[in-house]
Amino acid sequence: MAVPGRRRGALEQEVLGCLASAGRPLTVAEVQAEVGEGLAYTTVMTALSRLHAKGALRREPAGRAFAYSLPEDPASVGAAVTARRMSRLLDSGEDRAGVLARFVADLSPEDERLLTELLGDGDPVQKADS
Amino acid sequence: MCLPLVLSALLGVSAAGTARRLPPGTAVRLLGVAAVVTALSTGFVLAVAGMLVLAQIPPVAALGHWSGAVVGSRLPVPLVAGWLAVAAFCGLLLAALRRTAWAGRDLVLAAIACRRLGPSVAGLVVVDDEEPDAYALPGIGGRIVVTTAMLRALPAGERRVLLAHEAAHLRHRHHLWVQAADVAAAANPMLRPVARAVRAGVERWADEVAAAEVGDRALTARALARAGLARAAVRRDRAGSAALAAVDRAVAERARAMLAGPPPGRRLLSAAVAALILATGAATLVTSRDAEARFEAAQSAYASGTTDSYYSHT
Repeated sequence: MAVPGRRRGALEQEVLGCLASAGRPLTVAEVQAEVGEGLAYTTVMTALSRLHAKGALRREPAGRAFAYSLPEDPASVGAAVTARRMSRLLDSGEDRAGVLARFVADLSPEDERLLTELLGDGDPVQKADS
Repeated sequence: MCLPLVLSALLGVSAAGTARRLPPGTAVRLLGVAAVVTALSTGFVLAVAGMLVLAQIPPVAALGHWSGAVVGSRLPVPLVAGWLAVAAFCGLLLAALRRTAWAGRDLVLAAIACRRLGPSVAGLVVVDDEEPDAYALPGIGGRIVVTTAMLRALPAGERRVLLAHEAAHLRHRHHLWVQAADVAAAANPMLRPVARAVRAGVERWADEVAAAEVGDRALTARALARAGLARAAVRRDRAGSAALAAVDRAVAERARAMLAGPPPGRRLLSAAVAALILATGAATLVTSRDAEARFEAAQSAYASGTTDSYYSHT
């Protein structure tokens, strides 16, 4: 599905990230409000129902619409173990880091101060889920 | 003959500054190619230097049907240096092969981990974990792994930055650049700073791709800052400050580079690196033709039974 301004699969990833961080079922309107900069309601709805059709999302009726959430998949326990093993490898600083690319590494105290300042500058420090 | 060695030293010394000044995508590609070409070239030059010494040993000369004396006449390298070259070549070749084997093993392990992570939606695997973390795992299709804690730490716009960053790693096959530079640095330790610059460069490269995708450099910088701080907070609580050994200045520098505005093209500097690559290649070619001419002269001397040196040009 081609969404203007987004690479292939980006919207699906964002929707998934949104639902995972919410930790509760969200309606199409709620998801659109979160990720939907410039996205039509129908675009978000299509993405959600496609993900549901693929079995990636669970949905339940909520009023006249559906609320979507991530399924609690027992297979994801195995995935979590694998993922944790990967993180430990990254922590150990072995050469394998050449294969894995972590978004942010650990910070020095100096870095922490700089980054806190950066966030404080013109952008109120906020919790995403507040 | 020593030119490739000199050029690789120059590349090593200038790598960090070059990477800082060039747009990261350009820097990684240029430095990556330069590292591989230079490593091959220094390896070749060492091999030739070693060969010139070994070829003078009488049994070897007899086996090759060339005159050992002619091979050895007016050598551009002293005999001791030749023996050192033999030792260095063998040691470095072994190191490079070992590093290549590691790279292959890691790619296989990554592919296995991709399969173990199971089916994914658009390549994203969300893992339920209290430690904010996110990384890209190359493999068949590749996976982006993000923990729920990391997703919760970021507002939607910044999550988009994170996903775009990790997707850029996979799309541009950043791990291959990193591994190629690592192997090159194993084959020629003078290139270690280049490998470090490439490793840091791919992060900046992915940042730039993400910033272009979301169309907001400040948002990208904030995503880096918030993700870094969220991770630092949990890590400190968990491990105490002592365990954070692998601290580097990268995240703050990346955020600062993001806020500094889009990197200028710097054609001149790119051209200089490209020229260095070409010069290395040319120097290698000259060495190769030189050695060839020397052996040809030695062989015809052997054939005509003379041992006089009539090899004239170096």
